[in-house]
Amino acid sequence: MNLAGALPLSAALAALLLSLFANAAQAGGLPTVELEIRDGAFDPAIIQVTAGQRFKINLHNRGNGPVEFESLPLRVEKVLGPGVSSFVVIHPLRPGRYSFFDEFHLAMPEGVIEVR
Amino acid sequence: MAQALLIVWRESVEALLVIGLLYAWLQRLPVRHRPQGERALWLGALAGAGLALLLASLMLLAGNWLSGPAGEWFQVAMAALASALVLQMVIWMAGNNATPQRRSAPSHPAAVALLAGLAVAREGSEIALFLYGAAASSGSTGLLTGALTGLLCGVLSFVILQRGSRLLNWRRFFQLSTLLLTLLGGAMLMSAVDRASTLLMGLELPAAAYDWLGNAMWDSSALLDDSTRAGALFASLTGYRAHPALPGLLLLTSYWLLAWWGCHARRVRYAGQLSV
Repeated sequence: MNLAGALPLSAALAALLLSLFANAAQAGGLPTVELEIRDGAFDPAIIQVTAGQRFKINLHNRGNGPVEFESLPLRVEKVLGPGVSSFVVIHPLRPGRYSFFDEFHLAMPEGVIEVR
Repeated sequence: MAQALLIVWRESVEALLVIGLLYAWLQRLPVRHRPQGERALWLGALAGAGLALLLASLMLLAGNWLSGPAGEWFQVAMAALASALVLQMVIWMAGNNATPQRRSAPSHPAAVALLAGLAVAREGSEIALFLYGAAASSGSTGLLTGALTGLLCGVLSFVILQRGSRLLNWRRFFQLSTLLLTLLGGAMLMSAVDRASTLLMGLELPAAAYDWLGNAMWDSSALLDDSTRAGALFASLTGYRAHPALPGLLLLTSYWLLAWWGCHARRVRYAGQLSV
């Protein structure tokens, strides 16, 4: 069941305006990673980024139900309804491995951000 | 099933602690002061459950709004408001740390209702969404059992809290509930700070601002690692961070100082009134 497909026009317009606002606030060339989440499965499961640099993860929920992108070490959590896309910006990290998972699908394997 | 149990119980712990502590507190007031406060508490919790369902539906029907910056700021505001209300509640309680006859009704029943409502709405919307998603994707019998068991664990925690509070004398109960509530309030503040700094991180700010927002002041993960499940639960109930950044550190310290100073000032004022 894809509820997002049945979005009323007004909500779609509001979403468009907000995404314009978000893009305006988001100017500048931030390194960006696309991450698809499908009912708890991450694609890609390993994200590689450079140490000491701010970066953005664009999250896309391509599954049938809601997901919660969560990383305990990075202190981010984001709930996404089915079909919804959003983003998080992560502060400059020191080299290391930082795991993330889908709080709503705990049985699925975790993903990892590798910082070098 | 175990997953549903864990999520429902863990998400409901914060709300149950807030409501349980306020309820235990109201039970210790003279009988004539109780009904007003209790009514406010339950009405607030009920409204919070309604708001949780509304938020969950919004997240499904207009998810781009709630998952975008506007929705995130809304959640920052909810958490910050809840932590401010806890502070107000703790200071109000300090004035009641007198003889039983002197204990008064809550001065602002609306604040009790609002706090209960925010506590339920904050975590309740995630429970509702999780259950919706799980019901849509997997077999729902195990899920339902898990969710109900989780709810049962929650109710059990509530009952234990009520029983436990009766075993304590007034002074101990007062100290413990003040400490627990201040910890919870601080944790809510830290969750608002985390969300807000992620949002600010996405804006175009001078480079120094990102260092200020993101750089850890120290690393105490060897002592207690908040990136493990148990550590994360502790962090979400106390505001503890293994890698605290300056803004959170400053705000949490101010919060505790404000709580201490507010309670102290109120006790002094009440002591003055008693001796007159």
